[in-house]
Amino acid sequence: MEQRVFSTIGKVTRRKEGIARVTGKEVFSSDVTLPGMLFARVLRSPYPHAKVLSVDTEEAEKMGAICVTPDEVPQIRYNERQVSIPSKTYRDRTVLPEVVRHVGEGVVGVAARTEALAEEAVRRVKVEWERLPAVFDPFEAMKEGAPAVHEDVMLGDVRLPIKNNIACVREVSEGDIEEGFSIADFIVEEEFRTGRAYHTQLETKAVVCRPEPDGGITVWPTAQSIHNTRQLLGRIFDIPLSKVNVVRVPIGGAFGSSIQMNTAVAVCAALALKAKRPVKLCLTREEDMYDHCKYPSIIRLKYGIKKDGTITAGEMQTVVDIGAHNIQAYPLLGCMAGWFVSLYRMPHMHFHGTAVYTNKAPACAMQGYGNPQVSFAVESMMDILAEKVGMDPVDLRLKNYVGLGETFWGQGPTVRSIIRSCGVEEMLSKGKEKIGWDKRGKPEEKRGRYRRGIGVGRSFHTSGTGAPMPGEVIDYSTAMVKVNEDGSVDYLTALMCHGGGTLEAGAKIVAEVMGVPLDKVGISPSDTRSTGYDVCTHATRGVYCGGAAIKKAAESAKKILLEFASRLLEVNPDALQIRPDEELGQGVIFLEGAKDKAITVGEVAKTAQLKGWGTAIAVESHRQVNCPPCFVTNFIEVEVDTETGNVRPTRAVAAVDAGTVINPDLAAGQLEGGLCRGIGLALLEDTDYDRDTGELTCGASLVDYKTYTAVDMPFVDDLEAFFANTYEPSGPFGAKGVGEAANNCTAGTVANAVYNAIGIRFKEAPITPEKVLKALKENGAAKRRAERND
Amino acid sequence: MIEAEYVAPSNLGELFKSIEGRAERVKFVAGCTNVLPDLRAQNPAPMLLVDLTGIEELRRIEENNGVISIGSLATMTELAASEIIRTHGPILASAARALGNPLTRNRATIGGNIADASPAADTAPPLLALEATIHTEGASHAKREIPVEEFFIGPNQTVLNQGELITRITFPIPKDPSASSHIKFGLRNAMAISVVSVAVVLEMQGNLCHRARIALGSVAPKPIRAYLTEKELEGRKITEEVLESCAEVVKKEISPITDIRASAQYREHVTGVLLKRALWQAAREGENSTNGNI
Ligand SMILES: Cc1cc2nc3c(=O)[nH]c(=O)nc-3n(C[C@H](O)[C@H](O)[C@H](O)COP(=O)(O)OP(=O)(O)OC[C@H]3O[C@@H](n4cnc5c(N)ncnc54)[C@H](O)[C@@H]3O)c2cc1C
Repeated sequence: MEQRVFSTIGKVTRRKEGIARVTGKEVFSSDVTLPGMLFARVLRSPYPHAKVLSVDTEEAEKMGAICVTPDEVPQIRYNERQVSIPSKTYRDRTVLPEVVRHVGEGVVGVAARTEALAEEAVRRVKVEWERLPAVFDPFEAMKEGAPAVHEDVMLGDVRLPIKNNIACVREVSEGDIEEGFSIADFIVEEEFRTGRAYHTQLETKAVVCRPEPDGGITVWPTAQSIHNTRQLLGRIFDIPLSKVNVVRVPIGGAFGSSIQMNTAVAVCAALALKAKRPVKLCLTREEDMYDHCKYPSIIRLKYGIKKDGTITAGEMQTVVDIGAHNIQAYPLLGCMAGWFVSLYRMPHMHFHGTAVYTNKAPACAMQGYGNPQVSFAVESMMDILAEKVGMDPVDLRLKNYVGLGETFWGQGPTVRSIIRSCGVEEMLSKGKEKIGWDKRGKPEEKRGRYRRGIGVGRSFHTSGTGAPMPGEVIDYSTAMVKVNEDGSVDYLTALMCHGGGTLEAGAKIVAEVMGVPLDKVGISPSDTRSTGYDVCTHATRGVYCGGAAIKKAAESAKKILLEFASRLLEVNPDALQIRPDEELGQGVIFLEGAKDKAITVGEVAKTAQLKGWGTAIAVESHRQVNCPPCFVTNFIEVEVDTETGNVRPTRAVAAVDAGTVINPDLAAGQLEGGLCRGIGLALLEDTDYDRDTGELTCGASLVDYKTYTAVDMPFVDDLEAFFANTYEPSGPFGAKGVGEAANNCTAGTVANAVYNAIGIRFKEAPITPEKVLKALKENGAAKRRAERND
Repeated sequence: MIEAEYVAPSNLGELFKSIEGRAERVKFVAGCTNVLPDLRAQNPAPMLLVDLTGIEELRRIEENNGVISIGSLATMTELAASEIIRTHGPILASAARALGNPLTRNRATIGGNIADASPAADTAPPLLALEATIHTEGASHAKREIPVEEFFIGPNQTVLNQGELITRITFPIPKDPSASSHIKFGLRNAMAISVVSVAVVLEMQGNLCHRARIALGSVAPKPIRAYLTEKELEGRKITEEVLESCAEVVKKEISPITDIRASAQYREHVTGVLLKRALWQAAREGENSTNGNI
């Protein structure tokens, strides 16, 4: 039965970790300090591509430093991300490489008594390099005779030669694309590009490793998945998993950059095992910026459309520049196909994706996993198509969107499910009202220095990667719930929270199921030894998948509790309910309509203990067999300064269809954060490389890698976030995800708003002031030419 | 690893005593917002760090006989909030408000900003437009008064000698009726090193510009005065046409470079745009002030 009236879910509450966070008491990986601990630094490649001919650590060791070199680490080739099944996992790296493939790749790990000493010791290590030719552009890289970034890699256990730097290719077809274009009235084709953004998570990667006397190791990493970190460390260093304990440490943001085991972890573990002492390694911001970035993509997009606005066919071709390592390009390409297919109905479609190695920092998942890139192209195209057929952009979207009862590809072609909740229409129609869509005017009617325009964009993200059948991605969670003797409840999972309130949502789910006040639910510290497997907090799966496992465990514990209560109350357990009693500060188990048949949860638990009946405790593993789309819609107004080319967001409406919203204030915060990030992707964020040195042109510094701040956003009164009123039947209490969806459609929306302001279509993000000014000048010149010819 | 000796004098007497004979190794530290990132980047030779923050006499902002005096330790937050600065040098208050972010502004000092001498130093254009003077004191108490336009030599280079301390910065209160304006253009609204910044001080009679002082940041190896443009403007009424010609003339005075933030061409273009805007804003304010209805 659908429950829609809640005691705890959907209420704004004080966050459990809140006080520790705002008072600086929270212990992150970089705060973990152990007796006898050494500090590590890493000698990194100054070259984009080079062979390490020799390493001389003598001078460093004379200082008392411990060093690990490429020939001292296990030569296992691995992929740092453990989410795909082994046969679909591309493995191309070792703990320390003998060939470096990007500037900043670590070559020698050094540990000493202090960080300063470790830094000095790094300076004393001598490396002899043989420089190799490097390649930075994906199209150059695919040419015959281009320098090979990798000769070969492992796909599962099979050696795979790499040709023309093509890491992997994915092609998907449905229907007959030629037929689809032939029945169209118009065919439109455009090319779009998105930037190589850096995650800019607050916390740079950090880790502490402690070797244990039994030959094992305990690890406190920055990680989105403690179990995957454990499995990989066990494999690389050949330690039984029962002796590898990875501790869940709060994380200072990740945006996807810690789905994989961070490079720092393996180096630190190697050092700790060699030193036989705990070792800490914290990356500097510069090191972190050479460690990961977003997948930049070039997307050629072609649609066939009828005069009445029906899309007949769609074709997407993409080239993704993955940098020096293939962390998850194969599933990425599949997902990009999925995002493309699931936005708008296309009876005939074709997708072709190519991932290319270059000598740059490796790209990995970043909020949206290819979706902001695809949505930038597709949402820009929807406006182009609407203009072509003379339709309002909102109407065109309403006509073609994939909605209720239709098939949705949550993780590429192998993960399909049916959409059972959908707030697309509601968000588009309410959003239109709120922004004043009908008054936005046409670009040619706008005059003056400052021109405003309003754009619309929509998208979605998957909630997790669950499906009816096992696919290429692993997805399930495990949780334990137990009732304490005073009526409070503990819950334990390996699920991570990246700051969005995932564990808080879990506590609310437990409180709701168990009928106890939220402040009586404790979130237990977690490590891999004491928890069942949880794949990872990624793919916007925390609440939908992790929360569902927590709910299942809570229901099982509740069943035991009610059985104990039934003995005491002499009532059939199925007739008993629990409600939170704020005055008593705990749950009360009762029989509806019978005043004398009531007892507190604490009394039942305590009595059960005294009588030796046991503890009301349950552990459950759970896989979701769906991954429903959380839809998102933006309406954004921008102001273009036609004299400087500067674009400023002035108003915004951001809506999400997250099903039942468990943490309303935190979900709204995610929408606002996603909006800010998306605006950054549209207007500001990118990285480039010096073709001679292979270095980041921003100097790997946040001075010149900018993300927008609060003062770049519309004023608080001009920014509205709202939720669609939906209920997801397969979600815990009707919930879906929010996280990644929040930024998926924003860049496209901004491009559409800029078009509405000045009538110029930008197909390359970020849309910088220089690009805008140049286009305005060219446009003006073209107009003047046209006028003269008239 | 940084090897340094550290002293924290509580007055100028103590300071000069502690650096006697060691001037060549001295590194003054005020808010430390430049010093710390620099040290991290450079791996410098051993040095004597002289912490200025305990020297109260370097903090004062005051007015004496038509001259404003700012202690070198005054922070951006203090400048932005100071009644004296807001009244007599509003463009300096505006520049102080635009520097970095609140955390940085609480630490960053005016002395540090000009001693660092970045071509983008935010307080430099207003100080140039206000015709400020830099007061220094060196070893054996040698004092100098340096006009700010002679102070900067190039990127991060000034006429300061090793161990020479900026004690205060003064500027005369601009003659009435005057008007001023300041614009900083960066790639975002906070924590942005400027792409171009402009500060202007105009002495106006109605719509007629008697005297103009125009200064620019981030468009040359050092913050500069735009003397040619000033000449172009002086003695003329501020009209669209005059502003256009100023925007043309200014391009001859600047030598912007292409860097990660912007191309040289873009800087050149935006300098003209911002100059026009700044002059226009100032002129409007000037008109208003002679009408007595600000
Ligand atoms: C996050 C961040 C953002 C920033 N944003 C901006 C910005 O937007 N605009 C901008 O202009 N700057 C910016 N800066 C740079 C810096 O904050 C300013 O230049 C600041 O004014 C420096 O002042 P300070 O007191 O911190 O100087 P310090 O770092 O203490 O010193 C800077 C230099 O001046 C010397 N010095 C200091 N005081 C004296 C003195 N009295 N006499 C002689 N020499 C002295 C020091 O030896 C050193 O060489 C930023 C810095 C950071 C960290």
